Amino acid sequence: MKNIRLYSFLLFILLLALWEVRAGNMSELVLPAPSVILHTLIEGLMNGYFTAHIIRTTLEIVLGLTLGSLFGFIIGILMGESEFLRKLLSPYIIASQAVPKLALAPLFILWFGFGMTSKVIITALICFFPLLENTMSSIQYVDKQKLELFRMLKASRWQTLIHLKIPAGLSGILSGLRVAVVLAVVGAVIGEFIGGSEGLGALIIASQGMMDTPLMFASLILLTIIGMVLYQLVNIAEKRWLKLYMKETKK
Amino acid sequence: MGFLTIKDITYTYQGTSPVVNGVNLAIEKGAFHCLLGKSGCGKTTLLKLASGLLKPDKGCIQLNGKDMAEPSHECGFVFQSPTLLEWKTVMDNVLLPITLRRKLTEEDRAHAAALLEMIGLSAYHNRYPTQLSGGQQSRVALARALIQKPPMLFLDEPFAALDAITREELQEDLLRICQLQNTTVLFITHDISEAVYLSDRVAVMDKGSIIYEEEVNLAKPRTMKMRYGSYFNDLCLTVRQIMSEARL
Repeated sequence: MKNIRLYSFLLFILLLALWEVRAGNMSELVLPAPSVILHTLIEGLMNGYFTAHIIRTTLEIVLGLTLGSLFGFIIGILMGESEFLRKLLSPYIIASQAVPKLALAPLFILWFGFGMTSKVIITALICFFPLLENTMSSIQYVDKQKLELFRMLKASRWQTLIHLKIPAGLSGILSGLRVAVVLAVVGAVIGEFIGGSEGLGALIIASQGMMDTPLMFASLILLTIIGMVLYQLVNIAEKRWLKLYMKETKK
Repeated sequence: MGFLTIKDITYTYQGTSPVVNGVNLAIEKGAFHCLLGKSGCGKTTLLKLASGLLKPDKGCIQLNGKDMAEPSHECGFVFQSPTLLEWKTVMDNVLLPITLRRKLTEEDRAHAAALLEMIGLSAYHNRYPTQLSGGQQSRVALARALIQKPPMLFLDEPFAALDAITREELQEDLLRICQLQNTTVLFITHDISEAVYLSDRVAVMDKGSIIYEEEVNLAKPRTMKMRYGSYFNDLCLTVRQIMSEARL
């Protein structure tokens, strides 16, 4: 298992090589070679063509993610704490999830315009649910004896939440955040597909119109990188938190 | 009148026969009382009733002459599992009961350090619970229960998951500290020799009632030799026979 990273990398090189060979006898419009894509990518990055698009899309993702996660977290806590709220709200939450949210994108563009607001809202709506669901269930299923301990210590509801339920559920909450991060990229890009002139999603649509397939691939690569970076950030945050006390048990 | 008085307590979980049925128990100030019983006999429920975690259907519980309707700061509780908070250090775990009540002072820290010293964990202040062995975790749980110097201590099979030698060490520590702070103890176990060794008085519980009670006349402090003496073994045998008869 020690060399697994190396093998993973070798596989990547192998796939790239196969692609390069295969692309050699195909039209660049259908399948551009990796070398061509890389050239487009680097050139675009160097002359700043991508900069505005990257900033725009990243901003939409981050804002939408923050907004959606925050609301998901707060409402998740409220619903986890109060059975009344859980029963009252859950049909609506389920209904709001049953609607294919991406199909709502045209409506949001109608409501909030072609600017950034509509994309941020679509993204937030998509990120909302995984956080809500994970927060709600994580804080509900805390070890019963620990809850009894807190009752024995006469901790208030708020103290039990802050000192026990949230820390105990944090790894579950963070795994919800990880799902949300990946979905956030989808949300922002779909929003840009439907209405927008700036952002990597809009760039993909534009490149389709211009029949510039290497540009499309370059945009896709940039989106993948954004997604992976955000995902890793959550991972690092989780490790930092868990590292403290999981050191011995992980082995 | 004892320090802790349990009068005619009955408790029923929804729709079943009573788990605790008309139990009376009185524990003198500073006494160590053990409650023996097989699993499912209602001993844990009785402990939760006594500590105020559960409300009895009938009967009343008095601690030091006052009615107990809810958990009190005068009581410490040690659970079956150590129930330490994995994200807090040993020190912070021990100080948790105080953290929840007020701001920590230097005195509190010194007191916690002294307690940890007493149970042999002075080198582990900044470790996390997962880095400790099972016995060490139980010790931390014990220290946490004692940090507020409670006059009354409830223990629910705290050493059940430990090996025999570690258990004996912990029993010694427990006896020593309780003696020092003159703590009144209600201890639950299914281990007969543990009960006899620790307590001033043993009670056997079966099907929700106390069926046998006996004083233990062993000298204090206890020594390891006593575990192999004839009085000790005779008493263990008597208790054992009573527990077998209860099964019929």
